[in-house]
Amino acid sequence: MSAFDCETARRAFWGARRKQLSPAEQRDFHAHLRGCAACRADYEQERALDEALARLRTYTAPESLRQRLSLLVSARQPTPAATPRRRDKLRIAAWSSALLLTLSLGTGGALFWQHRTRADDVLVTEAINDHLRVLFAQNPLDVASGGIHQVKPWFEGRLDFAPVLDFEGNDEFVLQGGAVAYFVDRKAAMFLFKHRLHVITLLVFRAERLPLPAPGAIKPAQLTASTTAQRGFNVVLFRRQDLGYALVSDVDASELEKLAGKIANAR
Amino acid sequence: MSPVKSVPASRRDSSRSSTGEQRWFEATMPHGATPSTEGFGAELLPYVDALYNFARHLSRDPHNAEDLVQETFLRALAARAQFRPGSNLKAWVFCILRNAHLDLVRRRTIQSTDADAELAAPDGEAELLRGDIEIDRLRGIVSEQIETALDGLSADGREAILLDLEEFNEAEMAEMLGCATGTVKSRLARARAALRKQLREYAK
Repeated sequence: MSAFDCETARRAFWGARRKQLSPAEQRDFHAHLRGCAACRADYEQERALDEALARLRTYTAPESLRQRLSLLVSARQPTPAATPRRRDKLRIAAWSSALLLTLSLGTGGALFWQHRTRADDVLVTEAINDHLRVLFAQNPLDVASGGIHQVKPWFEGRLDFAPVLDFEGNDEFVLQGGAVAYFVDRKAAMFLFKHRLHVITLLVFRAERLPLPAPGAIKPAQLTASTTAQRGFNVVLFRRQDLGYALVSDVDASELEKLAGKIANAR
Repeated sequence: MSPVKSVPASRRDSSRSSTGEQRWFEATMPHGATPSTEGFGAELLPYVDALYNFARHLSRDPHNAEDLVQETFLRALAARAQFRPGSNLKAWVFCILRNAHLDLVRRRTIQSTDADAELAAPDGEAELLRGDIEIDRLRGIVSEQIETALDGLSADGREAILLDLEEFNEAEMAEMLGCATGTVKSRLARARAALRKQLREYAK
């Protein structure tokens, strides 16, 4: 006679489906099934459903996502500058096909807005990833703001360049603080602004070898910027002398461009 | 003698909090140095396909699925110090993805038909599919129909089915879902009953 009653046998369905019963349990379980038509039928239904579920379509991660994650993993801890060129090429190859192209044109302050190029996509994606890290970090700031004159000096000795930011923030765009971040293959100064309840990330970095909008590309002696919408975020990129600037947020593009104008105009 | 795997007391209904990820973190506090991002990231990469599949079925949208997996990686890397080496990395990272999905649903109010999608557990389930003919029909169901039936489940039911398919045990699922193991069992039983009912309709 089986050591299992119906209740015990039904509790064992999970283990039997997973082949996790001990040999003794398996023997008793099957002995019960042989003698109990109801449990046998119900167990067959479970197995039939498992067989059906085994045919459920399995989605494979797109190659572009796989490559992006690989780069994300490595981008968080940049290796010495031995491989930036290869990595940049890989980034362009991995991301360029997957990116949405939404163009925002306009003028504001001293900035001229130009059409984005495919090369911008690399920087846009990188900027959004940095912004996401800020959003997800529990303590994204290394230095909380007591004003720009407290934040900027904090970067001394932590970066291999002096981040130029003359805009001190105002009631509309409140400077929250700063931190050291990475942008593509280099260190960056990350400033955080609050605009109402929205977070705006500003990254300032050395511009060399990055496909930023060229100064004076549209009009000599004027700064040129591009605005891009991607994955629900707006990104403004511009270059000022040797430094690149990336502003990222989910605020409206016009608000972000307004802040960009303030940063570009501030003296 | 119980044929069902026992659940450690520490994992039995320890909290009803919905923040399973947080509870998991608390249960896996670090003992040593924080792993490097590259090293830890390399440990995560083999789960990309499984995570994407889970995200794709949860969100039912390829773009949201990509965003979810990327967010999961960002969160996992940021929280890597809280993962205890030797514990179940796959369960931990699935838990992060699930929480990211819940956040995404709340934040973006993405298209969700979950509210009206609950398929009630059928009455007289024991009578369904009792005969071999019904079982044979179930075995003839095609992949698209299974996916449609899965999409028709509630979010809770869909999660339970997908995590069961990934062969997480009841305790791991309870940890991830922030509920008791008994709740996991009943959710899974209800979801499987609802699936059977729906698939039986397709098989007619």
